[in-house]
Amino acid sequence: MALSVPQHDPLSVAAVGNAFVDRVYAKLSPVYDLVFGAALQAGRVAAVARMNIQPGDHVLEVGVGTGINTSLYPRDCRVSAVDLSAPMLEKARERVEREGLTHVRLFEMDAAHLTFRDDSFDCVYAPYLMSVVPDPVKVAREMYRVCRPAGRLVILNHFRSPNPILSCIEQALSPFTVHVGFKADLDLPGFLEKSGLRPAGVERVNYPPIWSLVTVVKR
Amino acid sequence: MPVDAELLEILACPNCKTPVKLVKNGTALKCDQCHRVYPIKDDIPVMLIDEATVEP
Repeated sequence: MALSVPQHDPLSVAAVGNAFVDRVYAKLSPVYDLVFGAALQAGRVAAVARMNIQPGDHVLEVGVGTGINTSLYPRDCRVSAVDLSAPMLEKARERVEREGLTHVRLFEMDAAHLTFRDDSFDCVYAPYLMSVVPDPVKVAREMYRVCRPAGRLVILNHFRSPNPILSCIEQALSPFTVHVGFKADLDLPGFLEKSGLRPAGVERVNYPPIWSLVTVVKR
Repeated sequence: MPVDAELLEILACPNCKTPVKLVKNGTALKCDQCHRVYPIKDDIPVMLIDEATVEP
């Protein structure tokens, strides 16, 4: 059951574990692009623009899923992309092969335990990941660790609305939305504070513009 | 795409956080410290402690 994992001072009313998320995404993998593809594409395009990728940069994508972002990266950078779900990674592998994306490398890895050394990447990007993982703060700290100083962290996600009525609805829905892959009520200010992240910018993206694109420059 | 030298320089063992090296004709990655071997399945390195084997 999704709600069985206790969480202290939660950023969301819904708590999930890795095994639960893994099961949900194994089921979602054949239909993910159909359900979440076009609807969330504007945010993906905006995020890659915000990453300000330079020729030769090494980008880390955390939560590559079906590889839906992989064709958006310029060919003159290199991309390492990780996901915990083997069925999702299989979709990504097929896409990378089909589209000849020789600059993209895939890894099966836990976002909360990135197996890269400190300061390894010019840019670290998490697309629609933070409301999926059991511990978004741990993931954000790992992303920060592997990013080089002055490099960029880009986080694309839906966060809880500042509007009290919408916020109540999102919190009521969250225990249900986890079964289709995400928490609807992740608290952005709480998440940033606990992660120790000070954003250089927060923009609204997608239609309706209820998703946020958070950019952080590592000090 | 094989794991190249540049990637080996930044990859670390999930258990020890120390460097790993290519073994078994490039089909696995090994940590010299804990002797864990991480398989590369369909070109995808599986960097998970639970999926690793320990080999002397």
